[in-house]
Amino acid sequence: MKLILSTSNIMNSGPPSVIRHPMMQKSNIELITSLRSNFVASQTLDNTGVDGANCAANGQHGNVASWTENCEDGLYIPAVDFSQHGLAEERDQYDITVKLFYLPGIPASRRCAHTREAIDLVLRELHVKSIDLLIVSFPGILFDADDDSDEEGSDASGEDDFDSMVQTWRVLESLHEQGVIAQMGVAEFGSERLARFLPHTQVKPTVDQINLKDCCVVPKSLILYAKQEKIQLLTHNDCNDILPVGMTRELLGPKDQGGAGILASAPDANDGIQGDVEPQWVVKYTAVVKDRGVVENKGYFALADVGTCVQSRS
Amino acid sequence: MGLLALGTALEWPDARLKADQVRQWGIEQLLANWRRAKGKERDALLWGDEVEYLVVALDDAARKARLSLAQADILKSLAHDEALWTADSAAGGQHPGHEEEKPPHFHPEFGRFMLEATPGEPWGIGFKDLLKVESNMKWRREVAKAHMAPNESPITLTTFPRLGTKDDYIQPYYPPSGPALRSQFVPDEIANPHIRFPTLAANIRSRRGRKVELNVPVFKDVNTPSPFKDPTVDYDLHLWPEDADVRNGAAKDDHVYMDAMAFGMGSCCLQITFQAKNMTEGRKLYDQLSPLGPILLALTAATPIYKGFLVDTDVRWNQISAAVDDRTPEELGEAPLKHDRWRIPKSRYASNSTYISQDPRLRKEYLDPDLVVDEQIKKRLMDGGMDELLATHFAHLFIRDPLVIFSEDLKELDLQKGDHFENLQSTNWQHMRFKPPPSEKDDIGWRVEFRSMEIQMTDFENAAFSIFIVLITRAILSFDLNFYLPIPRTTENMETAHERNAVLESKFYFRKDPFGRRAPRHAGPHSSHGSTFSSTTSSAVNTPPPSPPLGPVESEYELMTINEIVNGCSDGFPGLIPLVESYLNSVNVDVETRCFLASYLDLIRKRADGRLWTGAKWIREFVARHPSYKHDSVVSEEITYDLIKAVEEVTAKEGKNGSIGWELLRGKKE
Repeated sequence: MKLILSTSNIMNSGPPSVIRHPMMQKSNIELITSLRSNFVASQTLDNTGVDGANCAANGQHGNVASWTENCEDGLYIPAVDFSQHGLAEERDQYDITVKLFYLPGIPASRRCAHTREAIDLVLRELHVKSIDLLIVSFPGILFDADDDSDEEGSDASGEDDFDSMVQTWRVLESLHEQGVIAQMGVAEFGSERLARFLPHTQVKPTVDQINLKDCCVVPKSLILYAKQEKIQLLTHNDCNDILPVGMTRELLGPKDQGGAGILASAPDANDGIQGDVEPQWVVKYTAVVKDRGVVENKGYFALADVGTCVQSRS
Repeated sequence: MGLLALGTALEWPDARLKADQVRQWGIEQLLANWRRAKGKERDALLWGDEVEYLVVALDDAARKARLSLAQADILKSLAHDEALWTADSAAGGQHPGHEEEKPPHFHPEFGRFMLEATPGEPWGIGFKDLLKVESNMKWRREVAKAHMAPNESPITLTTFPRLGTKDDYIQPYYPPSGPALRSQFVPDEIANPHIRFPTLAANIRSRRGRKVELNVPVFKDVNTPSPFKDPTVDYDLHLWPEDADVRNGAAKDDHVYMDAMAFGMGSCCLQITFQAKNMTEGRKLYDQLSPLGPILLALTAATPIYKGFLVDTDVRWNQISAAVDDRTPEELGEAPLKHDRWRIPKSRYASNSTYISQDPRLRKEYLDPDLVVDEQIKKRLMDGGMDELLATHFAHLFIRDPLVIFSEDLKELDLQKGDHFENLQSTNWQHMRFKPPPSEKDDIGWRVEFRSMEIQMTDFENAAFSIFIVLITRAILSFDLNFYLPIPRTTENMETAHERNAVLESKFYFRKDPFGRRAPRHAGPHSSHGSTFSSTTSSAVNTPPPSPPLGPVESEYELMTINEIVNGCSDGFPGLIPLVESYLNSVNVDVETRCFLASYLDLIRKRADGRLWTGAKWIREFVARHPSYKHDSVVSEEITYDLIKAVEEVTAKEGKNGSIGWELLRGKKE
């Protein structure tokens, strides 16, 4: 079965503990901490009024916690009330940026479905019909500011192969055509990779998001190439492997080990869902009020497969 | 400083009789304007910085630096060119490097040796705009310089080291002891000749019943006499009745004594004004920025010299406060209350004393227990529909008397205007100012002004601090941060900020946890009506829904160093810079902008942790190392000349490549 993890709006929901750490260091602390605190908050709060808002109430699985919700598309952890009003003002007041992380080891063949799933959740959460910018992060690509030439190491394990990136881009282009995505971007592309990638695209990326330890050291070749191709270079500090399997198991594991108590504590225990857990993708969304620079809504969804029916990696 | 009205200014004995009328009319104008503008919504973030300059004239032959009183000529010449430029731009003319920017505006200030410059139009939050700030500041300086005599230049020191000494520190020279200031140290000609300024100074003195009195503790160096008796004070002057002040003990031992408004209002500041999206957001920013005032004052410290002596304080604030203190002996508590209405704890120029946001997080324990309010005015405002918090704020500002009244303005009350309101509002110089939209203009919203920072020697620093404050406001609004601190603690912090090297050695009260408690999941997004949930049982504004009782207010804050407040501590306050960086990580910032912002944040980070010096420390060290300094606290004409030359070089080279001032800006002599 599918597990849909969510943080809700992390801007006004308690300490985003990520900010207690040095900034220029890559981090998935924000994701992990905000998932954890949303789980804790949902367990302690009375959730009447949230239950049943979207689909059949939970309970189909006798061992599923009451603060979650079992829907057609998966088990929501915690239950999400999509009927809540999404954004305070009209759509055109906002810049909505979404970043989709395809995770390492997950077959590229699933990305079409994953992309649609992820975008759909964000649109439902924010009550909007489209997003302004979708940035996709392919697994295994590492941007190295010191060495602009040698980033194509396609034999590195977990490295995404070029063809599947192009395939994935087709899916984004179709969403662009449907008007769901206004602009598209990539992450961690060096100038050579961009130069190889662009001829295969019908809709060009307008953004390349790069992570730099010292953001004043950007390879000149990339600056020049990006300028020529009218690609904006943006900064980020996301972790490359944002949601590893072990972390997911820890988050959802037994309560006495600090988890949410979703997964069974042992192969023969009846206290949770049995089977292997495999995170599939993570999506981050941010809604910024354009002419005021205020981040009104920011959060994550993550999807993991669990159980004996985890799809074979073909 | 806004537009200057013309007319017949009343002298204090007459002005006094009209005070009630001006206050009443001011309140009616405020109410009319508030009714008109309270529903204004969705104004963009626009902001502006104000940079103030001293105009110095260097006499290289005599190795002397003097203040130039050429303000009027310079402004006239600037205004002439600005008009030309505007016509030129309309015709497609451009200024290299500033093609998309309007020509800067220049304004008069109190001191006739001062200039103020603002950008030609306000900045937005577009990150590209942030990149223009520093170069625009440099452009302003170039433009100003181009309109001065060849030996004159605009410098951004807070104060002129030898203002008020016995030498000819001004050009042209005028002797002291004029009828308006009656100062034994500075002439009336030191002030802008526009009738508003001498009247302001004279009426403050007159209302007070004696000259203003500034006593700054002297810095005791090894050869400084002890007790130190200010050797520049003349006890034998008999020109004006006020000359008796010093014979009655106005000049204190171990202090540098000054006696005129020019010693305070002649200081240069860096002030930032923000437009909020609506009144609610403006009130929130006013409250949340208030506890930051003393912190930024200590961080920007740049004022270690007065009247030719090193002093034992690092900032200008209290000197300005004393320089415009119009309180009578009764109001000061020196005499029993007979004629005056109340004792007033603070000068008109002081840290602010109110919180105004209708925020459920505002506990009544945070409010100032010593707040003086004109109850009649408060009642009138509330009868007129204003809520109690805001009515209290204005009824507090309106305890003061209007100082400059033009008789022409008293004929008829014009509710379309705001002149009487502004009369009181603009002579309450608190470290935060809450500004209603101007009555006459529809396109300006509710604004908040952040006023505590000291001007810095370089435009790099001035841009860094301006942008830092802008980013803090965005972080406050995005994370719904809570910096509430009891107002008396902010008042104490303001005093602490004066201590020599407070930036590294003193501790300030600050809130430990700026985050609210976790909201119920999927509570709506921030609404325009403040936070989405309540965590207080003692709200000053309304009855919140039941929630767990709060701990004592005293447990919410503790004493922290500036470093802890700015950079954070591991298990306490997260730090202003990490908060700002966390905000920047949540928005799309391009590489070039982020690089600029990183250099600004780096400056502030290192000022806070001591790797970079404040202007105050750098000036002290400059004096201490000067070959002619005798370690007696005296900053001679020769040292002053060299200091001004050095400051010009710092401004131009910014400490690059091991040039002078690297300790301020680079941290290493690379």
